[in-house]
Amino acid sequence: FPAVLLCPGAGQDVGRSCILVSIAGKNVMLDCGMHMGYNDDRRFPDFSYITQNGRLTDFLDCVIISHFHLDHCGALPYFSEMVGYDGPIYMTHPTKAICPILLEDYRKITVDKKGETNFFTSQMIKDCMKKVVAVHLHQTVQVDEELEIKAYYAGHVLGAAMFQIKVGCESVVYTGDYNMTPDRHLGAAWIDKCRPDLLISESTYATTIRDSKRCRERDFLKKVHETVERGGKVLIPVFALGRAQELCILLETFWERMNLKAPIYFSTGLTEKANHYYKLFITWTNQKIRKTFVQRNMFEFKHIKAFDRAFADNPGPMVVFATPGMLHAGQSLQIFRKWAGNEKNMVIMPGYCVQGTVGHKILSGQRKLEMEGRQILEVKMQVEYMSFSAHADAKGIMQLIRQAEPRNVLLVHGEAKKMEFLKQKIEQEFHVSCFMPANGETTTILTNPCIPVDISLGLLKRETAIGPLPDAKKPKLMHGTLLMKDNSFRLVSPEQALKELGLAEHQLRFTCRVHIQDPRKEHETVLRVYNHLKG
Amino acid sequence: YRDLHTFELQAPTRLIEWACGNRVCVAGYGQSDGNEILQLIPPPTLLTKETQGLCPERDFKVECGGFSERPVYSLKYVPDTSLLVTSGPPDSSLQVWQVSAEDSDVIKCVSTLATENGTEQSWAKIATISARAPWVLHGSRLDRVQITEVESKKNVYTATSRGSEELSGLAFLDCNTLLLCCAKGQLCLADIRQPQSLVEAMSMPSAPCSEQWCMGTRHGAQGLELSSQPVARLSSKGLLTLTDLRKTSEFLALAKARVPSPGSGAEFLCVSWAPALEGYLAISGFDGTVHVYDTQSWDSSGREAEPVFVHKGHAFGGAGGSGDLPLVTVHTWHLQKPRTLLSAASDGSLHVWDWVQPCGKC
Repeated sequence: FPAVLLCPGAGQDVGRSCILVSIAGKNVMLDCGMHMGYNDDRRFPDFSYITQNGRLTDFLDCVIISHFHLDHCGALPYFSEMVGYDGPIYMTHPTKAICPILLEDYRKITVDKKGETNFFTSQMIKDCMKKVVAVHLHQTVQVDEELEIKAYYAGHVLGAAMFQIKVGCESVVYTGDYNMTPDRHLGAAWIDKCRPDLLISESTYATTIRDSKRCRERDFLKKVHETVERGGKVLIPVFALGRAQELCILLETFWERMNLKAPIYFSTGLTEKANHYYKLFITWTNQKIRKTFVQRNMFEFKHIKAFDRAFADNPGPMVVFATPGMLHAGQSLQIFRKWAGNEKNMVIMPGYCVQGTVGHKILSGQRKLEMEGRQILEVKMQVEYMSFSAHADAKGIMQLIRQAEPRNVLLVHGEAKKMEFLKQKIEQEFHVSCFMPANGETTTILTNPCIPVDISLGLLKRETAIGPLPDAKKPKLMHGTLLMKDNSFRLVSPEQALKELGLAEHQLRFTCRVHIQDPRKEHETVLRVYNHLKG
Repeated sequence: YRDLHTFELQAPTRLIEWACGNRVCVAGYGQSDGNEILQLIPPPTLLTKETQGLCPERDFKVECGGFSERPVYSLKYVPDTSLLVTSGPPDSSLQVWQVSAEDSDVIKCVSTLATENGTEQSWAKIATISARAPWVLHGSRLDRVQITEVESKKNVYTATSRGSEELSGLAFLDCNTLLLCCAKGQLCLADIRQPQSLVEAMSMPSAPCSEQWCMGTRHGAQGLELSSQPVARLSSKGLLTLTDLRKTSEFLALAKARVPSPGSGAEFLCVSWAPALEGYLAISGFDGTVHVYDTQSWDSSGREAEPVFVHKGHAFGGAGGSGDLPLVTVHTWHLQKPRTLLSAASDGSLHVWDWVQPCGKC
């Protein structure tokens, strides 16, 4: 039966994904994330639990990574190069292309900026990626003779996938992070009615009722507009890929509609990389973008130009998208330092910031920052945080369950206490069992295995001739004899079985004596009993 | 607008109740079972007095929830307890729920307060108070009004009445005085210290009887004083009357709201006073809008009144216009933020909006 273990580590935080699934004797690791809130070894999952019984490569059949966010792949190089794993690592093509960039970025902050030592090196990232096998959507990949996997579109970010893991007739679907509503540059997650024995779904946002996207966007545009109208400058630190494109499309459309003249700039690093990857992976974006891409290049904007570092000193309003996203180094930090002292300016953080970065500090309210060389930077510019991340809420989770029709559901990332209501909701609506294990806990799911049996044609013909045809929804009872020989199972008619086994048919007749006291004549009583039985 | 947030509930609600800790409660009213009662934590933008900008947390969180087999038409928290009471068709019995403790987020039904029923399919209107003990005032008709102690289920008071008019609302004016509003418009006062005296309609200028009426009483921050707060009544044709309970023989004010006709019935009629803005009230239930009025300029002429603000969001929102336009089922004012309201509609939308005083700088 599938058994699922949420890899232990510090605490029960939402911070990191790493799940071990044991299915029909195969062991698969789902995601290998790093906890973004810790600065020490607690950020990595604790693999000693598995390694104490031998080498990881022998124990694990494969590792699957759902998408490039660091809380899903951040510990991969540590795991494969420092702990030691040489087996296959599966992920989608975009994930394979983007992961190393983010890992390297993160490595730079941790090692170069913060001077940590127990961390993976650039070479390790490269060596790790050599073990990666990229997969396409809906492509069945044979990991070995018995284990096969298949990726499904998950929305959320470019390249994110949900994976189905199948061994014989037992299967598990792992969702990673997914989103059931399409946005400007990505479609919604989709899966077919694969009826897995277990669906492992993230549930971080399960108890959330989200503000409508239109309102968030409206407020974002309002803030940008207000700042630009009063002559201020807006800095939006972004990662090279992901939300940046979404926001660009949003601003471009708004600028066009409102006929605005203030310049919008895109960091050069961004333009090249982003466009390059998006063009490569155009099939991964949503339908609308693909269509417009054919007419004109969606990522070549009319109002958005490439940035030159000299522009930061230009007077007047402007909007700049610059990397990296947490203001921890590079161009975005440089621009920030130039603009921070003016209260007319604004910085909008579009995503989560790791502790220790400037982004995190200013979001926590710090307004006096210590920079290199003991210089104090006073932050007078407005600091805003706008989260556009796309996760499934309760409604989305229900939709996915409805699509896949699993027999059991397991929710990760939520707090067990606060999920009782959702658990009941799922159990009531779909009549399935719902599990919510804590970190370090193993859940065992019982499955009903399907045993394939050959049925003789004669028997099949005979059974279908009697009564109505069998209906998929209402199983029909049939009679036969099951012959188990060597490793084969066959269902034949009793007569055939007897013949094959060389046995003679015996008939057993049961009689029993019943005394009836009745004043009537003998033949009258017999007639009455007969009629009664007949009726 | 100063601010507008739109949300989508999985199922529409016809009630929005405030609970302590600034929680908000909504519940489903679908005919089939599987209705959910949800206690929500509003986003931080609503919890603070000052409206922030792009707040990191803009979402409602489901704090706890329960499952109800019958549609929930009315819900009231029992003050100073962790209980709430609901009512809904097919009869006028009440369900008592325990809002959970630390170890679970499920709202459990702990008991039922059964009432003797007539044959009609009516549901009880409810009000709660915890003056001497946790009490619930309930009844679907004038002759079935009673107060039951929530925990012990003991009957504390039963109203005596000649009439059997259907009720559209009831309220505790203070721990001894009840105000009842009949669907045909009559208002009745009752003193629970005198259970034998008949509950009768107060004499007031007649209002058209063919319409359905509902009432709104003002709950100030300091509790309600019988004398000072006018009672508002709203009719299904848009007529608004303000009455001073000390002098019911004449209307304090009479006005007409511009509402579409023919109306959509009186199912979701709702009128409420602003708790933090003197003289302002809001009405809804006619279409997909909520109207806000300043009653201080009203007189008794019955003229048409101009709303200070009209929230139209529910009529425009939503995924794809298929068929009927949504109808606003309920609205309520924020208890501290003077111009913030919450409204819900029949398409499951839930809006939180903050309107700007029109005669300002814009």
